[in-house]
Amino acid sequence: MSKSKTKTPSSPTLKDWEKQASRELKGKATSSIHWKTTEEIEIKPLYTAEDLEKLGYTETLSGFSPFTRGPRATMYAGRPWTIRQYAGFSTAEESNSFYRKNLAAGQKGLSVAFDLATHRGYDSDHKRVVGDVGKAGVAIDSVEDMKILFDQIPLDQMSVSMTMNGAVLPILAAYVVAAEEQGVKQEQLSGTIQNDILKEFMVRNTYIYPPAASMRIVGDIIEHTSAHMPRYNSVSISGYHIQEAGATAVQELAFTLGNGLEYVRTAINRGMTIDSFAPRLSFFFGVGMNFYMEIAKLRAARFLWANLIKQFNPKKEQSAMLRTHCQTSGWSLTEQDPFNNIVRTTIEALAATLGGTQSLHTNAFDEALGLPTETSARVALNTQLILQEEAGIPHVVDPFGGSYFMESLTSSLIEEATKLLDEIEKIGGMTKAVESGIPKQRIEASAARRQALIDHGEEVIVGVNKYQVENAEPVEVREIDNSAVRKAQIQRLKKIKKNRDSNKVDTALNAISNAAENGEGNLLDLSIEAIRLRATVGEISAAMEKIWGRYNAPIHSISGVYAKSFPDQKEIKQVRDEINDFAKKAGRRPRIMVAKMGQDGHDRGAKVIATAFADLGFDVDIAPLFQTPEEVVKQAIENDVHVIGISSQAAGHKTLIKLLMEILKKENSEDIVVVAGGVIPPQDYDFLKDLGVACIFGPGTPIPGAAREVLAAIANKV
Amino acid sequence: MAQNKLPAKADIIQGNRRAIAKAITLLESTRPESFKHGQVLLESLLPHAGKALRIGITGVPGVGKSTFIEAIGLFLIEQGHRVAVLAVDPSSQLTGGSIMGDKTRMNELAQHPDAFIRPSPSSGILGGVARKTRETMLICEAAGYDVVIVETVGVGQSETMVDSMVDLFLLLMLPNAGDELQGIKKGVLELADLVVVNKSDGKQESQAKNAQSEYSKALHLLPSSKNSWTPQILRCSALEKRGMDKIWEAAKSFRETLLISGEWEKQRRKQTGKWMWSLVEEGLLINFRNHPNLQQQISELEKAVETGNLLPTTAAIKLLKSWQTQSK
Ligand code: B12
Ligand SMILES: Nc1nc2c(ncn2[C@@H]2O[C@H](COP(=O)(O)OP(=O)(O)OP(=O)(O)O)[C@@H](O)[C@H]2O)c(=O)[nH]1
Ligand SMILES: [Mg+2]
Repeated sequence: MSKSKTKTPSSPTLKDWEKQASRELKGKATSSIHWKTTEEIEIKPLYTAEDLEKLGYTETLSGFSPFTRGPRATMYAGRPWTIRQYAGFSTAEESNSFYRKNLAAGQKGLSVAFDLATHRGYDSDHKRVVGDVGKAGVAIDSVEDMKILFDQIPLDQMSVSMTMNGAVLPILAAYVVAAEEQGVKQEQLSGTIQNDILKEFMVRNTYIYPPAASMRIVGDIIEHTSAHMPRYNSVSISGYHIQEAGATAVQELAFTLGNGLEYVRTAINRGMTIDSFAPRLSFFFGVGMNFYMEIAKLRAARFLWANLIKQFNPKKEQSAMLRTHCQTSGWSLTEQDPFNNIVRTTIEALAATLGGTQSLHTNAFDEALGLPTETSARVALNTQLILQEEAGIPHVVDPFGGSYFMESLTSSLIEEATKLLDEIEKIGGMTKAVESGIPKQRIEASAARRQALIDHGEEVIVGVNKYQVENAEPVEVREIDNSAVRKAQIQRLKKIKKNRDSNKVDTALNAISNAAENGEGNLLDLSIEAIRLRATVGEISAAMEKIWGRYNAPIHSISGVYAKSFPDQKEIKQVRDEINDFAKKAGRRPRIMVAKMGQDGHDRGAKVIATAFADLGFDVDIAPLFQTPEEVVKQAIENDVHVIGISSQAAGHKTLIKLLMEILKKENSEDIVVVAGGVIPPQDYDFLKDLGVACIFGPGTPIPGAAREVLAAIANKV
Repeated sequence: MAQNKLPAKADIIQGNRRAIAKAITLLESTRPESFKHGQVLLESLLPHAGKALRIGITGVPGVGKSTFIEAIGLFLIEQGHRVAVLAVDPSSQLTGGSIMGDKTRMNELAQHPDAFIRPSPSSGILGGVARKTRETMLICEAAGYDVVIVETVGVGQSETMVDSMVDLFLLLMLPNAGDELQGIKKGVLELADLVVVNKSDGKQESQAKNAQSEYSKALHLLPSSKNSWTPQILRCSALEKRGMDKIWEAAKSFRETLLISGEWEKQRRKQTGKWMWSLVEEGLLINFRNHPNLQQQISELEKAVETGNLLPTTAAIKLLKSWQTQSK
């Protein structure tokens, strides 16, 4: 400590502060105002130099290991973070024009959102994706679509990030070939492929093949890119989705870094040296409303990674340097009073930049209603421009560095995440842990706890459970006509299939199947070859599915957490009593099947509803993910449920619920009540009600109330 | 069309999914009226039941029971069989509610037109899991399912319950032998007609082979539950759907052997006796619990016991006495 810190006799001590604080608290101890975060980290109201002394804090500098203060020496003072908005919808033509508008408006890098059919390796003409094509991202079936997507966007200059994991081979291949046909070589390409399959099995749910086969693909991609694409990030190890599924900051850190370690080991087991690929691993974190925590999280992540990588003896500094993209939290954004979301996103964006992110996506205020409109997308983009150009944020590196509090918090996070990481290592690493289902269950428990606290009003969400407004002005919602997109895609698919040399395509596809079967060859190399010949995304995926099968991650459920987390049991008991009454009269408990249809893999809502409803006394059937309406009806009939509860987040509701109702009718089972919940814009309520949907529950619905409404709807019919 | 309409016998025999499901609900119902309808229906269906092979499957949580049922179920369907699966899921003691995710682990089977999967909550307001499962099995048989599989919760009490209603009792084991023998109660091992070491794939395959020979030795030391059948130890990978043919061969030879020796009939008859007794037990319990003149005393004594003011033994004697006088 420097001399200037020595205290003159008259300067107040921490004891003096305690006394004064206690007076302000009317005699209570200061421990009464400690704040316990969802991570169970206790935060004091005041931090001093003493805290840093206790930690044995030593100063570090940005640009040097362990990079706590930032990966680059000058950080944003040299060059501000990259504004990279994640977007994609409808056809390649539409998305292309949206991208070009944004680039003209100041966006610096592209980030492609694919539709769920593509994510899951289905072409647009597949029967399982009627509700999904072009809805929650852009539909890409072949390199022809990819070329349109990047039309007039020079791929040697533009860095492109692609969120793709399941169908990563054909999509990365199509990108490479689209560039090639633009005259751009692989080594010129810069950008990122997400290629982080482990978190798909845990939280994002767009996997296709079983874990071992999927890890082989990750390895093949790391191998190919490190040999041929020196400017390209081969994996984007993602915590964002883990957070959005409900994880605490500690869980997000440990599971993400744990996943990262698995990719490192995969590459090393193939005989690659750490320095040949580690500098090209990048990260992706979520940034929510817990302002200080999120800043500390990014700092802690960099420190932890630098230390974790040491065990592999890197020679290059960059191998241990964590670089990350960030996205503000969509979960924190509300359907109610949506303009509040602009404020939330601003705060989160601020945390991401104070935490030292390398690039950032800011969400649009209509997040909980649908994909962004032009207006909401513009405001989201401008949020970052304002931080960069008006607020003076970029001029100073790690402004919180050395702060008594921030360094303490960073250190607490490091400590807690390390404990969890050790636990994972004991299980045998994240691949094993993921197979056991433990991380997912932990995340779901966090989500259920959080839901209980919000439903009870303990955690305040302005406009949702406090300070509600009666009639907030409605906002415009983007609607995509998926049947039109599907028709256009099918047309193009037909044309491609007619004009190609199908013998050559078959040979290329067989080569992929063989390589999948015998474990030899690089699947990305082979996919690039097939894509050049105009094989489609669905065909290449199917060539491997033929060998490996299509995987279903086992679904585990938790119980008891939701009800227990309610600080006051009164409301819970009331609902339970009502349910018990019903059970007495009806001869059994109300039975609900919570189901998701189409390729929509958002399961946080469905799982939290399932566990909470069971806690309240319902008998709950959980259907597998990715069901067709026919499959849902079959199971609902077999289980003889009173009610089907459809949870829909990816905008398939109009198409799929309509089909569901038709099939129920055909099966003479209209006595089964149908309710729906999730991201359903209010303008669609009438449409669904007209179909016969009994109740609709949007984002922010408190669960005990929903349970009573569902019970009433059943009682009405019985 | 209404939820209350009674399922018709003819529909069930024709295999109408909805009618079967409704019939099961009647059997599970705690409403006296529905229960009665259920019993009448069941009786009318009994002549059509009894032709299936009834298989009970158990093993520690995570051993792969559901995955195994998916694999063997699909295998059997391919062989031309129709497969019904009954799974009993534990209900929360506290809330009475339950989460049933069985179909998520048997995704492909759940979608197949020749399969019928019915998960049931173990609660109900009054026990009776055993009766319900048994009767559900009969409904499925009457509906033409010729293989009925019952999956139980874990390893423990429920096994004896399942054993009392199935023909063939199959115990799934994990490949790591040492720990396993300790985890499984000797009593359960004694019930098994087939022991199958699952997860015989990848790195675990050699382990599984070792386990197979370990178990063979261990099992020889135990008394077998059947006179004419010596339990067999097999291996499979439910995940990779390998080994199903051998298991099915063993099951068929089990049936043949028992049919020839006469043990098949004997076991089924014995089970019918147990069924009668479980009905009696449940009936008594329902009568007791719902007896209008006992309600007040029950709740008073229960409170007294729970607050420690009365010994449970004393309370039980008092209640039984009042019940006896009431039912005279
Ligand atoms: C969390 C989230 C994710 C997580 C999902 C994690 C998980 N395992 O679920 C991650 C980050 C992985 C993710 C990914 C994607 N997402 Co997302 N995601 C969200 C987000 C931010 C919150 C959803 C959520 O879980 N909320 C919390 C839960 C508890 O709330 P809920 O689901 O609304 O449920 C409540 C009520 O609706 C109701 N309810 C819901 N269901 C039911 C059922 C019954 C029976 C009952 C009674 C009640 C009920 O009760 C619940 C409790 O209140 C929403 C936006 C938003 N704010 O809603 C976008 C959103 C759903 N995602 C979107 C998209 C596009 C995607 C992607 C497809 C992007 C892409 N192209 O790659 C991917 C792919 C995901 C996939 N596999 O399907 C879009 C969908 C667009 C649309 N509808 O038009 C949204 C709306 C964001 C946006 N505006 O762009 N996402
Ligand atoms: N490697 C391998 N894994 C398997 C096999 N069978 C099941 N598993 C895995 O083991 C886990 C548990 O499988 P389940 O089928 O759910 O086990 P269960 O015995 O039904 O579990 P409970 O219903 O919870 O008691 C899952 O992750 C399966 O994928 C197998 O043959 N090989
Ligand atoms: Mg199971």
